[in-house]
Amino acid sequence: MKPNPFNYVRARSISEAIDLLASHAGEAKIMAGGQSLVPMLNLRIAAPDSIIDVTAIPELQQSGETSDGAYFGACVTHERIQRGETPDPSNGLMPRIAARIAYQAVRNRGTIGGSLALADPAADWLTTTVALDATIEWTGPEGPGSCRAEDFVLAAYTTRLGPADVLTGLRIPNLTQQARWGTYKLTRKTGEYAHAMATVVRSSGRSRAVLGATGGAPIRLPQTEDHLTGLKLWDDGAASRLAATMASDLQGVTLQISDVHAWQLRTCLIRAAQMSFGIEAPDMETI
Amino acid sequence: MPNVTLRVNGDVVSRDIEARMSLADFLREHANCRSVHLGCEHGVCGACTILIDGRLARSCIALAIALEGADVTTLEGLHADATIAQLRESFHECHGLQCGYCTPGMLVTARDIIQREGETTEKRLREALAGNICRCTGYAGIVASIRHAAEALKQD
Repeated sequence: MKPNPFNYVRARSISEAIDLLASHAGEAKIMAGGQSLVPMLNLRIAAPDSIIDVTAIPELQQSGETSDGAYFGACVTHERIQRGETPDPSNGLMPRIAARIAYQAVRNRGTIGGSLALADPAADWLTTTVALDATIEWTGPEGPGSCRAEDFVLAAYTTRLGPADVLTGLRIPNLTQQARWGTYKLTRKTGEYAHAMATVVRSSGRSRAVLGATGGAPIRLPQTEDHLTGLKLWDDGAASRLAATMASDLQGVTLQISDVHAWQLRTCLIRAAQMSFGIEAPDMETI
Repeated sequence: MPNVTLRVNGDVVSRDIEARMSLADFLREHANCRSVHLGCEHGVCGACTILIDGRLARSCIALAIALEGADVTTLEGLHADATIAQLRESFHECHGLQCGYCTPGMLVTARDIIQREGETTEKRLREALAGNICRCTGYAGIVASIRHAAEALKQD
């Protein structure tokens, strides 16, 4: 339960972090909050030659409002979002998500950028950033790069980041005032990694429905999104209609999803959609 | 070996250490903080919970070398803290421990919960305690102890 030996370097600037990554040729790992990486080091699932700590880089700690939303530096902790110390472009969705990541002791140190860069399929921010149409930004030897959140994760633990790219932050556009959201995750116990997750953002112009903890990248559900955009109230048939659109959406997905997992994802989707209509999900303890 | 200097319970501790040393091992081996218990060593059990710059953290998944200049507080450093004093009393009163292995982490976490939320519902309390595992008590005594402490502190 102790890591392999490694060198530790504290990078003072983004360019220094990129140079260090490039010079270690794939044998170095970036560390932000370390709340996923250090467990992996302890378990020796990860055994890099060097750890490059990026938490002392001032730009990565910043957050602020932009002309159409908000910017979050990669090293912004879940706790700062939970407590409302950062701008909220999401009508309360981001603080709600942050408050339910792992445990308080982990939220205090874990970062949004670290979570995205690691791309554990069960990570809450992977699903949430797709639902909020975020843009992920990085800098590498070739200069700056960016992409939409839905294009960022390629597979489990695999992103668009190149071997010497450093994720610098993300931009999230403001939700409209009338947009409504809902989110639900199935966990074996509070704070555990989710077995399934869904987040729904409903608005008259355009809705989003995203499945998470899929085992791979988050999955957008285009037909379900169209259905939700037109849905004006939650009635008796709403759950089964949503289940049907989700099943139809999943036919176009190459990722293998077992029947049990599909059931879990459907439960999350229905509850997230219900929540967007103001219907609170039943307490896990009473199910 | 690289050097790290940090403050532990008010005292400056400076040591040459291996980069891979966890804060938990640093606290136990170099700062004589034996309240820091190691259960799972991957951030799941909560027995090693301490405060870094006043914020709750897991010392088994923090690298000591990364904490240059940090202010670390363990249960030893909270000896005279009013909330901890009441929690100690309440854990005694309400049978909040059996073997005691999880107890330091429970106390540091319970202090944080009380300071953040004051008196709270049993449901909320159990959620906030989900990251601290106890294999003896079944949690009923721990939950009762924290509620007892929160109520007593409110009356003070």
